[in-house]
Amino acid sequence: MRRTFASTLLAMCCLLVGARVCTVRPGGTSITEALAITMECDTIRVLKGTYREGALTVQRPVVLLGEGWPVIDGGGTGEVIVVNASHVTISGFVIRGTRVSDMNDNAAIKCIGVTDIAITGNRILHCFFGIHLSNVARATIADNEVIGDEAVSETRRANGIHLWKCNHVYILRNTAIHHRDGIYLEFVTDSHVDHNTSAYNSRYGLHFMFSHRDSYTHNLFHDNGAGVAVMFTRDVTMTDNRFERNRGASAYGLLLKEINDAHIERNLFTDNTVGLLVDGCNRADIRDNRFEANGWAVRVFANSTAAHYEGNVFTGNTFDMTTNGDLVLSTLQHNYWDRYRGYDLDRDGVGDVPFRPLSVFALVTERMPYAMVLSRSLMVNLLDQSERLIPTLTPATLEDRAPLMRPPTPGTPTTMNTKGRTAP
Amino acid sequence: MWKVYKYTLLDLARNRFALGYAFLLLLVSLGLFLLEGDDTKALISLTQVVLALTPLLALVFTIIYFYNQYEFTVLLAVQPLRRQAILRAQFLAITTALVVSFLFGVGLPVIAWTSNAIGWTLLLTGTALTAVFCALGISIAVRQRDRAKAVGVGLVTWVLMVLVYDSLLLWLLFTFSEYPIEPVIVPLAALNPIDLSRILIMLKIDLAALLGYTGAVYQHFFGSFGGMVVSFLALLLWTVLPAWGAVRAFVRKDL
Repeated sequence: MRRTFASTLLAMCCLLVGARVCTVRPGGTSITEALAITMECDTIRVLKGTYREGALTVQRPVVLLGEGWPVIDGGGTGEVIVVNASHVTISGFVIRGTRVSDMNDNAAIKCIGVTDIAITGNRILHCFFGIHLSNVARATIADNEVIGDEAVSETRRANGIHLWKCNHVYILRNTAIHHRDGIYLEFVTDSHVDHNTSAYNSRYGLHFMFSHRDSYTHNLFHDNGAGVAVMFTRDVTMTDNRFERNRGASAYGLLLKEINDAHIERNLFTDNTVGLLVDGCNRADIRDNRFEANGWAVRVFANSTAAHYEGNVFTGNTFDMTTNGDLVLSTLQHNYWDRYRGYDLDRDGVGDVPFRPLSVFALVTERMPYAMVLSRSLMVNLLDQSERLIPTLTPATLEDRAPLMRPPTPGTPTTMNTKGRTAP
Repeated sequence: MWKVYKYTLLDLARNRFALGYAFLLLLVSLGLFLLEGDDTKALISLTQVVLALTPLLALVFTIIYFYNQYEFTVLLAVQPLRRQAILRAQFLAITTALVVSFLFGVGLPVIAWTSNAIGWTLLLTGTALTAVFCALGISIAVRQRDRAKAVGVGLVTWVLMVLVYDSLLLWLLFTFSEYPIEPVIVPLAALNPIDLSRILIMLKIDLAALLGYTGAVYQHFFGSFGGMVVSFLALLLWTVLPAWGAVRAFVRKDL
């Protein structure tokens, strides 16, 4: 993929230097004419101005370059740019004027059944779908701003960046706000989603399903209606992301549903109703994440197996970890819990008594949410304390046998010499 | 009345216990803020202390002080003074002294470290709780002949409000979990002044968790300005009613 990207760049440079370039300016040749198959040029420079030509269809390999932010206005008739050819680059445009439709997925830029696409540095404003790729291989979507209309209700919104049945796609440094889902991937494999910001979307910041072997790093998801939901996927890597302020009755920083073999590392979960919800996940490796000031830092459903939590930091959460059953098939080790009141006689940095993150009150609210009204009352505190000493109601297996005494400093590996101590 | 108020207050200013109370609170607050790195966490711990300690000490102190002043009260009662005025003045003086102690002990550190919404709510509810339990204390003290018995009744009242009431609520929740008990449980909790204060503070702290699930309902009610006004009116009622009862009982009492 990286090679493809490089070659695309190289091709672009060659074209700019010596290739056949035609220039579109307001009042001159229209973009539609420049895009005609009979035209010889392979690079189209579009100068500053507003172009209202209805839906543009790209039928041949071409580089569309906007200079001085030319505006392409679809006029609200349907799509704006439809790409039906491979090896197409679209860069430097302001695109607007899609039509909201229940029948068609009208998009600012739509690519169907093609390969080697680059969509970089565009501003897509108040569109229905922003960038829509369907059955595309090898694409780069980078540095775009996909900004919906805040005033539009959720039923009239669509996804900012929408990919269906794609592979080898790079989604880099984009901003998606005020859409339904910021970034939506379905059947998208071997792809990378890095350094994006997805915020204020009415549903999910990031939503993917059946998208195997993808990685998500350094993204920021905040203030989305329901946070981030990822489902039915194998081999996901999510590192260094931030999940912030996703609040609401069914909002999650990150919801993992039926995810196998995931690596969730070094993410930051702040101020979410539920930081991380783990539902039916197998072999998730969850380490070195920070959970700060969430309502529920981690909720693990009992149908999850073989998850391993290590080196995570839990501070200032109302509940650190809850589960809905007696069966706990996950392991916890070397996490830092701000509620831990143990001691460390041998001074190896690891507490000598185990920590039970599941408080009995968390268990109660799991069954009766309205019991939240008793949160932080003296009675509840006493109940929790006594349960910590003599666990009777909470599952005994949900415990961190070797909790850290102080939070690990960022950047240092958490796997430390523990003198032969092993995870349960 | 104001003369009695003035002299009672002057006496209270010399009272070792009232001073001790102020410094105890100051010690606790400073300790929490200095030892705990995170100010918000310190504030949460302080909230727990205030919610439990303030009512207890206000109750016990009011009762004991009333008995210590008993002879002076009798002396005043033979003067051409209205009995209502005497008790009202004493109640107001005790409340003033304890509120000042509270604001000194808790208010100063809270304002110094975290003058945010949580801090201000804590100070407001702490003040209200002090007044409520002074009123309860004096109404208990007036009605009992024996000091030890009055203190006992005070302690029982405290345990009832802090522990038993919440346990009952939890039991209610469990027992009637099959029924739509939700609309009832919040008003029920709000009937207890300690719970009401706790809910008011908690709404500021546990916002994230509360917004999830059913918390939105609480947020709508208690979070709104109207809800705040209603809550503080309820606390005021908790002060006025026992105090009024105490005055009535005192007027009829055979001293």
